[in-house]
Amino acid sequence: MGSHARGAARTSSAFSHAAAVPNVDLGLLVILLVLLSVTAGLVGSLSGLGGGVVVIPALVVLFGVPIPEAIGTGAITILATSTTTGAAYIRDRLSDLRIGMFLEIATVPGAILGATATVFLARASLTDALLVALGIVLLAIIPGSLSRWNEETPRPSTPDARSRALRLSGWYVDRATGRTVTYQAAETSPALGVMFGAGLVSGMFGIGGGVFKVLALERYLGLPMKVATATSNFMIGVTACAGAGILFAAGYVNPLLAAPVAVGTAAGAYVGSQVLPGLRNRTVRWIFIPVVAALAIETILRGLGLP
Amino acid sequence: MSDAAAEPIDPTLPPAAYARMAQVLRAGLYASLLLLIGALVAYLLIHPSVMSAQAIASNPILQFLSLSGLATGLAAGDPAAYLTLGLLVLVATPILRVASGFYYFRRGGERTLTAITFTVIVLLLLGLLVIGPLVR
Repeated sequence: MGSHARGAARTSSAFSHAAAVPNVDLGLLVILLVLLSVTAGLVGSLSGLGGGVVVIPALVVLFGVPIPEAIGTGAITILATSTTTGAAYIRDRLSDLRIGMFLEIATVPGAILGATATVFLARASLTDALLVALGIVLLAIIPGSLSRWNEETPRPSTPDARSRALRLSGWYVDRATGRTVTYQAAETSPALGVMFGAGLVSGMFGIGGGVFKVLALERYLGLPMKVATATSNFMIGVTACAGAGILFAAGYVNPLLAAPVAVGTAAGAYVGSQVLPGLRNRTVRWIFIPVVAALAIETILRGLGLP
Repeated sequence: MSDAAAEPIDPTLPPAAYARMAQVLRAGLYASLLLLIGALVAYLLIHPSVMSAQAIASNPILQFLSLSGLATGLAAGDPAAYLTLGLLVLVATPILRVASGFYYFRRGGERTLTAITFTVIVLLLLGLLVIGPLVR
């Protein structure tokens, strides 16, 4: 049986769930995963959340993948999404690389801590409680996002000393309106705090943490929605790299799952990145908020052990 | 904040930085996808009898997670080793992206952002090469 048989079983039955999909040929499994991940990549890139929000629960619920391996695959999914769309967003100059790199000083340590915690918590069977907590946090931020529903451009904000010193500002041409939109980052300290939390969640659960990143970029730094979404996507890749690196090196990334998922996600994300620059902000929000709600509910249900 | 007549603020990174990072991302993505697709097809051809439950229950790359194991597997032409390499390229691509930022910030004489990007690179390598293997 070659290398497949030689590979020691990393998974533990204590973490595996019953699969909705029957035991099928590996080739069919690959095809199913590609189809799933194309959808995940599309939703992930449009919402700025990353494809993990679709892939992780689907792997657990539909395919019976143990949670740690699903999280490892989710982290790889995020990498594929961010890498694909990142190139397009950077080309269109929607991503603010300067602000993104500045904030990575908070997200990366968070992700390292989160991924390391996942490895230990999975072994201690405490993952389910953390999933419930995550779902509650996600639901709590939706009203805040809805309150700015009608704002197409950033609110006037006063930059702090750090923002001025590091010149955390930029501009872009909005394709939908044809206008040039300028911005200057405002409250960097709370943004750094939220970014650390985003990194923690990303590393711990294998999702992009885009919910928190967009929140910090839009709410505290006062960036336009499209810049916030594209910059979040840029940052998600680096944050996911920190978490995925640990999960990969620790043996929680199974390439027979991760390879088809990465390929499918990249294809879906490419289509999404071609659509986003032409959308109005309200359209992005219509996609963004239901995805957050679905993620939150799915996470809570998984944590409670409900179908 | 928005004004159609306003003169745009000068970009804080040169256009070449954006182009270079997009190139890095594309190169890393294409290389990893090529490796993953090729190795996955080879794996399916070599292991036609593997079922989904077996594939999910075990991880075929654990012996390739060390540099010596990976080198041995690649030299032997084992598809699982090439799957490992594809994943490694995908994981490493964002590190190169940050390295591009480090280069441009350093060239621009921006000490704070140079220090930030350098720290991020060190942390990313620390996670992949030290912390991950330690908790395996």
